[in-house]
Amino acid sequence: MTTLLQQIANGLVLGATIGLIAVGYTMVYGIIQLINFAHGEVFMVGAFGGLAVWRFVLPEGMKEDWYVALPLMLVGGVVVSVTIAMLMERFAYRPLRNAPRLAPLITALGVSIALQEAVRIWFPDADRSQSFPRVFINTQVKIGPVEIPATGLLLIATAILLGLLVQLYVNKTRMGRAMRATSQDRDTARLMGVNPDRVIVLTFVIGAALAGIAGVMYGMHVQTLGVRAGFQTGIFAFTAAVLGGIGSLPGAVIGAFIIGLVERLGGQYLPGGTAYAYVWVFVVLILVLVFRPQGLFGESEKVRA
Amino acid sequence: MSRLSSLVPAALGRPLSAVGSVLLLVAAMLPWATFLLNDGAYPDKATLQFFDAPFALTGYRWHVLLFGVAALVITFVPLPGKGRALRALGFGGLAISVISAGFILSEGGGLGAITAADGATAFGSIVGILGGVALVLGGSAIGIGDIPHWPDSPFGLTGWAQRLLAWAVLIVSFVALLWLVSETLTAGGTSGVSNPYAGPIFLAFLGMAVGVLAALHGIGFTRWLTSLSERHRAFSIIVLVLCAAALPFTDAGTQYWMTVAGTIGIYAATAIGLNVVVGLAGLLDLGYVAFMGIGAFVAANLSGSAASKLGITLPFPIAAVIAAVIVGIIGAIVGSPTLRVRGDYLAIVTLAFGEIFSKSAQNNIGDLTGGANAISNIPPIAVGDLGFNEPITLLGTKLPPGVLYYFLITLLVGLVMAVFANLKNSRMGRAWIAIREDEDVARAMGIKTGQAKILAFLVGATLAGLAGAVFAHKLGTASYDAYSFLQSVTLLAAVILGGMGSIPGAVLGASLLFVLPEKLREFDNYRLLFFGLALILIMRFRPQGMVPDRIRRAEFAGETAEGKPIEEVQEQLVVEHELDVPKGGKA
Amino acid sequence: MRNHTVKAAALVAAGALLLSACSTNKEESPGGGGDNQASCDQSKGTLVVGVIVPLSGDLEALGKGISQSAQLAVDQANTECKVPGYKLALDAQDDQRDPTIGAQAATKLASEESIVGVVGTLNSSVAQSVAPVLAQNNILQISPANTNDTLTKGEDYLNSPKRQWKTYFRTCTVDSLQGPYAANYLVGQAGKKKIAIVTNGLTYGEGLADTFTVQAEKKGAEIVTRQKVGENDTDFSGVISAIKPFNPDAVYFGGEYPQAGPLSKQLASAGINVPVMGGDGIFDKTFIELGGKEGDLATSVGAPTDELPSAKAFIDAYNKEFEEGSFGAYGAFSYDATNAIIASLAETIGDGEWSADKRDALLEAAQKYSAEGATGQISFDENGDSTNKVLTVYQVKGTDWASVETGEFEE
Repeated sequence: MTTLLQQIANGLVLGATIGLIAVGYTMVYGIIQLINFAHGEVFMVGAFGGLAVWRFVLPEGMKEDWYVALPLMLVGGVVVSVTIAMLMERFAYRPLRNAPRLAPLITALGVSIALQEAVRIWFPDADRSQSFPRVFINTQVKIGPVEIPATGLLLIATAILLGLLVQLYVNKTRMGRAMRATSQDRDTARLMGVNPDRVIVLTFVIGAALAGIAGVMYGMHVQTLGVRAGFQTGIFAFTAAVLGGIGSLPGAVIGAFIIGLVERLGGQYLPGGTAYAYVWVFVVLILVLVFRPQGLFGESEKVRA
Repeated sequence: MSRLSSLVPAALGRPLSAVGSVLLLVAAMLPWATFLLNDGAYPDKATLQFFDAPFALTGYRWHVLLFGVAALVITFVPLPGKGRALRALGFGGLAISVISAGFILSEGGGLGAITAADGATAFGSIVGILGGVALVLGGSAIGIGDIPHWPDSPFGLTGWAQRLLAWAVLIVSFVALLWLVSETLTAGGTSGVSNPYAGPIFLAFLGMAVGVLAALHGIGFTRWLTSLSERHRAFSIIVLVLCAAALPFTDAGTQYWMTVAGTIGIYAATAIGLNVVVGLAGLLDLGYVAFMGIGAFVAANLSGSAASKLGITLPFPIAAVIAAVIVGIIGAIVGSPTLRVRGDYLAIVTLAFGEIFSKSAQNNIGDLTGGANAISNIPPIAVGDLGFNEPITLLGTKLPPGVLYYFLITLLVGLVMAVFANLKNSRMGRAWIAIREDEDVARAMGIKTGQAKILAFLVGATLAGLAGAVFAHKLGTASYDAYSFLQSVTLLAAVILGGMGSIPGAVLGASLLFVLPEKLREFDNYRLLFFGLALILIMRFRPQGMVPDRIRRAEFAGETAEGKPIEEVQEQLVVEHELDVPKGGKA
Repeated sequence: MRNHTVKAAALVAAGALLLSACSTNKEESPGGGGDNQASCDQSKGTLVVGVIVPLSGDLEALGKGISQSAQLAVDQANTECKVPGYKLALDAQDDQRDPTIGAQAATKLASEESIVGVVGTLNSSVAQSVAPVLAQNNILQISPANTNDTLTKGEDYLNSPKRQWKTYFRTCTVDSLQGPYAANYLVGQAGKKKIAIVTNGLTYGEGLADTFTVQAEKKGAEIVTRQKVGENDTDFSGVISAIKPFNPDAVYFGGEYPQAGPLSKQLASAGINVPVMGGDGIFDKTFIELGGKEGDLATSVGAPTDELPSAKAFIDAYNKEFEEGSFGAYGAFSYDATNAIIASLAETIGDGEWSADKRDALLEAAQKYSAEGATGQISFDENGDSTNKVLTVYQVKGTDWASVETGEFEE
């Protein structure tokens, strides 16, 4: 029983990380129908951005106080990931906006590979795993029989809070309305005075900011960082977005928590053990796509292309 | 029309081209480096070589000279497609000059290396770059019109005379192609400690080859050749296979190049298989390499390798057939979600399948894959006592080890090509293309889309399985990590780079993606970075690929199947419509 | 229309890339060296030592450590005139950690007559396709890092060892020694009876864990659970929670330090405060930086490095020659392998000339080779395995590893 509860807690922490990334996936897909494979890499560069602030910017004295170090690192991570995402949108995706669907997908794969390699080659010592500082309170929090590091709780809280904030933003603000309009029909939105380019950039920015925050917090949680950190998490996040119904913000976050739970509980209780934990996520993905292609919360569409 | 041509008034086109040609000629004869490179004569020491040895120009300077002469002739000879040809030669000359200049700069450290230093002058590369630019501008100013159409039966020949001419042209062209392939493979020699210049020499050669091919394309020759080879398809395939079989008899007939060519052949065959799925039926598959992997594991398990737990030993042909059948069935199963999901979603399903395969193979699922230890020591394919990895003597020539695999793989590629060509022009092929263009319309036209899509997966997977079976024996080991996601991406990139739906494209794409890293091993740490950037750039600038399929090109480049810009055609259609002269044309 | 400007832009971009790539290439250009060796007679030409390791992608750091250590041995041989009449050069080839590319690299090296031997590979799976090619061409290969037993002794290595390739040797240890030695220490000396095993699914870790399990059970310990993490995983909470109910008193990790360090740290913070033990793959200072805690254990081949003067000499020379990139887990083995090739070559050539016919003699010389190396006494047994069966157990003390026990494996 303790193990079950503990694995559920682990799954929620993993799900929170995935959820923060999945929001970016689902928003970008909702607006320009692009599977931005490189979004996992945005998460990774965000984490490296935070690490860079810690290593090269923060003076020795400030590293101890988490309320100074953590916000600065988060800012660093967000700045880096947002910059990368904007460059990516401007130079890789925007020129292909009217190209056949295959082209941007291949481009995204290219961006993903190039980003991983660029960081590995040019970030100091990134050719091997790095230790990442735990700038937050370094204790285990006990909830009944379950123990979670404080950073894990922070991740869960952040994911839920930011998920709600973005949802509010999209539903309540003028810009959010423009986003929804653009995702429904870009040309009509343009006729109504919406500048689609601005909306699309903003979408990338919001997604990247969340991924950057996730990157720094995740690095802090596991206390290690490598350039391959983004790829698998990114694929999980995409799976979560699809599971939740792509285009749906609450769906992405809830889908992410489900994926996290499947990964951890599958590894614990399904045959094959932890060796196959990774496989179950993909099995779930295939089953969802085959039997409920619109996802758990997605609206049914007649044609999915 | 073009922004490049608008830089220069049309009247200046010819003089500018002439100047460019002469500059290239001069560049070839000028010295290129002010210093002697430490490991031998890459460009020979600075002398005005032409005067003491006019015919001793070698390597890339010889190519620059040829380009200059050719450009000069073309400038003053009436020739359709002149502008395109000149521009192509210009780009070629420019590429050669830039690559050589870059290399000399990096070796010499400083601009002095390619200008004047230590009392020596060497303006060859700068003059070459200027010449190339002038030719490009001149050619553009002369006009980049339509690619000229050559008549299928030139000189009014008919019947047998026409056929003989076509055959002769095809044979000569394919032999020339064989020569070019052999030269490209061996250009610069095998890079290594004893030969530090292999990389730049190879790149410069590649620049030359691309320039020549583009020029031939510009005057309409390659299009004519394509139409000839389509008309005489069986003959072309035979000649092509014979030419490929002749490769071991050229300079490229070393163990190394036979091994590399064999690997390329395997990937080319797999890429053609992937082309059925992606190129024809338009179903994006991101886990395709898993089919190859399953084929390899099936063959490995039936090979009698000590690492296989099954302990069954079957002769290779039977094992290969079993592998192909099993993989085909799995392909149909993996393809079955296509009945319900489309487009990007299908891509994700296939990606998920690829990951499940790779992870299960790593975990030694059912004791069939050897897990992390792989299935090693797979015996080579053998006929009687002759193992395929041994050297042989054929027609009095001693051929290196690996050459038998090369022959086998050449046959395999030929077979796969034939299958693909026949499928493409069959009822099923047209159904696939219809599905790719618009699935709902295809269904409305009475095509059984579900069946057709699953069949595409089945065919593609079978071909990959066959290739994988040969691969396992050639390599001697079947290991999960040889069939990773990155391999799937590379294969997909090969298909896209070459041009989707096109056979020569898939072969060309696979060749480039597997030859370039071999040839440019100096840059190995940057290999993946370049690969990623290349994917981005290709999609940005030439999404239709290098040898696009005609219909695909229409879609990607906004051109019609005849290669005219769509806007132009549309305008023309409007005009014609107003004149009420209906005329065909795909918009 | 805009196609043309676009092409020009692509060309310029390609040119720029090429330029930047070329300029960084210069320092590594093998043509550059050769000034300080003027004192040696090198009139007979250049002979090449090949290296086949990953020089791109994830494992580039380890590969670079191997190739630079080999470079160090070659440079020293040149300055010390170890091979009379010849200059030695190193030719490092990328195998991309892919058996296919590895086989191609091997064929490529094999096509040159001047090649005398090959150091490599890093991955056992790549070795499986590289070794046959080199064996076919009769080229000496010494691996600094393949620990898989089957490479030397065949599939049934425990019952009927049978040499696979007469050209294949290795300076590193094998799983069937290292795993059991660790088990003897952990169960025997340290008295741990309930051991959990974690592996990362790669050849090295799985092989180590398998042999460890057999010996530990023989010694009377119980393997309470065996779990697997993904090779790129960093969050181990799933595995840790799975282990926790078993209350192990030690964890054996089959894998390398990039994961072992964080695993140790995350285990401790989840309340499983027991020693983590691993093989030479975690015997690296970075393990401690990444979270390895006081009391964690590692085995490594050879006598303790701080007691071996030759080891210290290697480390000093390496750090002096290369500013960038550590020699990593396999640098010392690579240095020893390269020196074995060079010494055997000198022995084979004597005052004569090198030719491909001498490759058989070179193999024989390598078989008989014996010398003190950076990892201890280096020589090879009848299967090509290192006879250096001395292993040392190290323990984390403060910020560094300290040796706690040295010996040979006994049943």
